[in-house]
Amino acid sequence: MQEVIERALFTAKKLGATYADVRLIEREAEDITVSNGKVEGVKKRLTKGFGVRVIVNGAWGFFSSYNVSPEEGEYVAFNAVQIAKASAMTKIEDARLAQVEIYQDKVLQPVKIDPFSIPLNKKIDFMLSLDKLMEKPGIIVRSSSMHFSKEWKTFASLEGAFIEQERIVSGAGLQAIATDGKEIQIRSYPASFGGNYARKGYEFIEEMKLEENAERIRDEALLLLKAKPAPSGIMDLIIGPYQMALQLHESVGHPTELDRVLGEEASFAGTSFLTPEKLGNFQFGSKYVNIVADATVPDALGGFAYDDEGVKAKKIYLVKEGLFVGYLNSRETAFKLGLEPMGAMRADGWNRQPIIRMTSINLEPGNMTLEELIAGVNEGLLIDVNRSWSIDQKRLNFQFGTEIGYEIKNGKIQDMVKNPTYSGITYEFWRSLDGVGNESYYKILGVPNCGKGEPMQVMEVSHGSSYARFRNVRVGVKHE
Amino acid sequence: MNKERILQILNYVVKNAEADQVEAVLMGGETYLTGFANNYIHRNVGEESYELNIRIVLGKKVGASSTSDLSDEAINEAIRNAINIAKLQKDNPDFVSLPQNYPGDNEFIFVSQVPDAETRASMVKKLVDASRKYGFISSGKFETEKFQLAVKNSLGVERYMERTVSTLKNIVMTDTSSGFSQESKQDFREINIESILEESLEVARMAQNPIEISPGKYEVVLSPYAVEEFLSSMKYLSLNAKNIEEGTSFMKGHFGEKLFPDHISLYDDGLSNETLKMGFDFEGVPKKKVYFVKEGVILDVLYDSFYAYKEGKDPTGHSLPQPNSLGAYPMNFFVHGGTSSVEEMISHVERGLYVQRFWYTNPMEPTSLLITGMTRDGLFLIENGKITKPVKHMRFTESILNAFKNCLEISNISKIIYEDGAVTTAPYMRIKDFKFTSVTEF
Repeated sequence: MQEVIERALFTAKKLGATYADVRLIEREAEDITVSNGKVEGVKKRLTKGFGVRVIVNGAWGFFSSYNVSPEEGEYVAFNAVQIAKASAMTKIEDARLAQVEIYQDKVLQPVKIDPFSIPLNKKIDFMLSLDKLMEKPGIIVRSSSMHFSKEWKTFASLEGAFIEQERIVSGAGLQAIATDGKEIQIRSYPASFGGNYARKGYEFIEEMKLEENAERIRDEALLLLKAKPAPSGIMDLIIGPYQMALQLHESVGHPTELDRVLGEEASFAGTSFLTPEKLGNFQFGSKYVNIVADATVPDALGGFAYDDEGVKAKKIYLVKEGLFVGYLNSRETAFKLGLEPMGAMRADGWNRQPIIRMTSINLEPGNMTLEELIAGVNEGLLIDVNRSWSIDQKRLNFQFGTEIGYEIKNGKIQDMVKNPTYSGITYEFWRSLDGVGNESYYKILGVPNCGKGEPMQVMEVSHGSSYARFRNVRVGVKHE
Repeated sequence: MNKERILQILNYVVKNAEADQVEAVLMGGETYLTGFANNYIHRNVGEESYELNIRIVLGKKVGASSTSDLSDEAINEAIRNAINIAKLQKDNPDFVSLPQNYPGDNEFIFVSQVPDAETRASMVKKLVDASRKYGFISSGKFETEKFQLAVKNSLGVERYMERTVSTLKNIVMTDTSSGFSQESKQDFREINIESILEESLEVARMAQNPIEISPGKYEVVLSPYAVEEFLSSMKYLSLNAKNIEEGTSFMKGHFGEKLFPDHISLYDDGLSNETLKMGFDFEGVPKKKVYFVKEGVILDVLYDSFYAYKEGKDPTGHSLPQPNSLGAYPMNFFVHGGTSSVEEMISHVERGLYVQRFWYTNPMEPTSLLITGMTRDGLFLIENGKITKPVKHMRFTESILNAFKNCLEISNISKIIYEDGAVTTAPYMRIKDFKFTSVTEF
């Protein structure tokens, strides 16, 4: 391994690279899916390879290979240099990187229970027992999934960085789909689209209390079929932590990615309304809005010790008391705006060049109880767990739907409602926040499937939030 | 990697894995992407990568594994992993068999040259230079790939495919607008850069300084890009046997019924000349042409081997790599073309909207296929049969089923749109009463 890295860096330098780095990754993953009483699939995946990133003639090049050998190290570096030289044909200015501290480090991730030490048949038996709990007439699809991965990554650069990191991830989730022949209702636990994930061992699965929630979501899916439709109109909204995760992701995480802001993702993911002149000058939300990007949160899926440029993990404010104060950045974009690199460059594997990705984007807790939040609502809804999501390419106009909702009238929770949706313009919405639940309600949701970039990269991120109350939100969408 | 080495690996797996049935699938190849933004190349990447997928059958127990490391040691470990998983599995009573060897060609080669880094950069340079000349900003990608897929199983299947596909995409931005164009070809030399430039520049120019109009019902003319994005949810929610069994498809209970007008026909055809061809699926089953809707009548769905054998049918050649919770998937989807020219379609609209592209569409309800999303990169008012003004972008919330029922006209030309390895051949569509539910700020 050492020789592959050395030959790649040596070759890159010899061929004119002013900057070069190598990432070598080995990853083992196990996925189990159970559906309607049967094991739908069990798969173990192994992946290994390396990528070389270079700056030559002031322009970027990247090449990668599945074949980890010293000879291939030279070949991959040679190709990366050729690609960089071609990039330089359209160069406007040289790519330059902000200076950072250079580290040599080895970071292990201690877990209580190695997820790969639990026998597969034990995991399958457990999932089948969960599936059984969700069985009931009217439930047409019961599904559950588990995912485990263990990754070993080495990062080395011409600047002298040499960082080895271990990463272990566990995740699981349940879903029940009910129908009365006319419509479909879905309930998930603890969240939709695969459940919850964390940088922990199998103890994370045990802590999730899946058995205690399987029957509840089954019954809620059936109850939703008979529930009245969510109302439409302008009203107050209390959003639970799992839907807040999506709200933070789409309307805070993505628009604060500095590569988007600078137009680098325009052809696919779009740009952002949070343009550079707004930094430090734009009232993003109300004074209750304190949002951080924090890669140092223990166990959170969006956390790490060093990013894929060797920048040490940090916590920074994106929004402080409502003011927009920070971007997610890379060494290159930080240099362009004269900012300090905050460590958000990550790649989803050895065959991808790092791009700016969310870390753990969290709304800091407030000081209210849920009862106090509800008591302050005359007419409104309490909603949670995402079902549908869409936002425009500048991250302004959004419309989200959740699996479940409850009416609130005169400060008290009333009936369950189905198909709740809400929409708004991002900064108007965040300016309407007037209360955040305290730390006791705070939950972090690990999201394993944030898609961005061309070529597409899927990244593990996370979002922490308590319940949050928003005033005068447009609820419901008239489409009939 | 050459074909011989690929087949050698598959032979090794099938020969050495001790099981009732064995399947080995090797896919991958070379991919290059030259990404540009702000009128220069900002991301330029290449990779050579493969994935070996192994499926092991022991009675009614199935185990699967994969590896991207193709050393002997890693392949042996992958075989061991799949066998161990199968041994520790529960019986799946619905599992019958891996696919039999269905008649058909064993080799499909749809390839041309893969351009080198300098050629890729030269193509991009033409786009960015043109945008710069007008004071506009170009962003996009030139992506080119040589994809290899080989499948061998212990029931006699042995198939090999090589395909090249190149895609050039350009978004031109002005201070107040953007314009979009994209083209995918098997041979990169057939990509018409001038046509991409003309379309993206023209739309961006015309879309400047948009006016705001109220949301509501509008007659629309959707471009092929918009049609592809609008229908994308339908392809994984409705069109396979799993969707029917689970009851999440609008087709369930409606086979043989006429739900849509005569001019609505939807099908998948991997061997048509009007798609980027694919000879067989990820189980090695040759592609069949399958009509989902023919002249408005609900006809059929896709089957991978699991659902086909469970229901006593033959698989249709639409399996994704297994195991896969999506079920079979249309990799070469077609919306059947009509008879109208685009100009005629626009001339028939008294007051409506022309949509160049949709963005971030997602389903709100699976069975009614109620979809929401935004317009992007060109939205225009049509008045008295002519495009008159650019319009600020809007959110639509519409059911795909309603849109088919309300489809008034389909164009006589179609465009091949390649996204994430799958192809849609889409025409322009004129649809009445298309619902827009809110506006955005630009």
